[in-house]
Amino acid sequence: MAILKLHGGKQATCTRRVATVLHELQVPFELIEVDVANGAHKSPEYLKIQPFGQIPYIDDDGFLLYETRAICRYIAAKYPKYGLIPTEPKANALFEQAASVELTNFDPSASKAGLQLWIRKMGYPFPTDDKIIADNLETLEKKLDAYEAILSKQRYLAGETITLADIFHLPYGVFVTYAGSESDSVMNRASRPNVARWYKELISRPSWLAYLDGVTTTTAY
Amino acid sequence: MVLKFYASQFVAAGNGIVALALAEKQAAFEFVPIDMAAKEHKTEEYIAMNPFAQVPAINDDGFAMYESRAICRYLDERFAGQGATLVPKGMEERAVVEQAISVESMAFAPPLAKVVMELVFKVRRGLAPDRALADEGMKEISNILDVYEVILAKHRYLAGDDFTLADLVHYAYAPMLAENGVDIMTVKERPNVARWWNELMSRPTWIKLKAEGMKSTV
Repeated sequence: MAILKLHGGKQATCTRRVATVLHELQVPFELIEVDVANGAHKSPEYLKIQPFGQIPYIDDDGFLLYETRAICRYIAAKYPKYGLIPTEPKANALFEQAASVELTNFDPSASKAGLQLWIRKMGYPFPTDDKIIADNLETLEKKLDAYEAILSKQRYLAGETITLADIFHLPYGVFVTYAGSESDSVMNRASRPNVARWYKELISRPSWLAYLDGVTTTTAY
Repeated sequence: MVLKFYASQFVAAGNGIVALALAEKQAAFEFVPIDMAAKEHKTEEYIAMNPFAQVPAINDDGFAMYESRAICRYLDERFAGQGATLVPKGMEERAVVEQAISVESMAFAPPLAKVVMELVFKVRRGLAPDRALADEGMKEISNILDVYEVILAKHRYLAGDDFTLADLVHYAYAPMLAENGVDIMTVKERPNVARWWNELMSRPTWIKLKAEGMKSTV
């Protein structure tokens, strides 16, 4: 059986999200870099596989799939022993609730502010906007107050064990902290000790630490 | 105790898709209206049910949850074996449904929100729409629908030949467009999208829900 192929970018945000989950699930994979700088993701051949012209996508022994969260869910379902998607109906529903919270209450503002802060940190030649960053961080602060209420009652977003819903907060959960310092940022405020606890746990995970310098082909764990 | 469905009266947004999912699953429920104009979603009692102070929420005999997409998935499991199957069980079929659901959240919903804000909500409130923002949103929606056209040439619905949650999530805001004179979903230049959208708008559960509104089954 062929090794799973992750078509994406070494430093690309969504590619990193998928790699983090592959690492959590100890799945060997080969990173195949897509030449985004030269428009490879918009070629007719590429569009046949990913019609929206985006990275990443996976090729799992011939099964092609795109959309980061769909990819992560597929892999988690394939390797259920890690429990990243609980199967018991109520636990599963609470996981879905938390996954939807990430999607609708975290990602919109975190990805907008996070992407720009990441561009600045990496020194990429793309325009950024102070107001977009500030406005979205402000929205995020309010959302994280609700997170504080949730995380004051349980260790992770869906209950006492980590699930994909927590891991989906990477990498943007890290990028938004670039607007602050290590001791004080939107994810790590004295006023939200439970969010800070949860955040620090996430960024201490080997799956996050493994690709700090970017995603690389991983054949052994 | 019968399932309690906390939502606003309007058959749209998260409220609309959960109401439709309840109908698709032929589920019995009690509708508990939350009056957002009266800020009932901001009361301490409601925030205890949903810390994000958003609608809808459900309470299924003591099991409480929020987030409309999550609720739809739970209903599919809870009422498995009745009504439509919203998410298939096979691993690869399921992954393709997840792929399409993700496209809706990440690519379709954001520009749609822009257009609905400008051309529906603002107009209803007698405010002047920002034409530039509306045009920008329309262009983005059109680009996404061009890809949907390619996808829908291959099968009847977004994730295959059966109606799934991937199609259902599109009922949240897009129906408002035609209701407010914006026909982007049925333009003749995209015949497959038009076919698919017309099927969605003619679905009996949707027609009944729009005609009768939010109401308890019991």
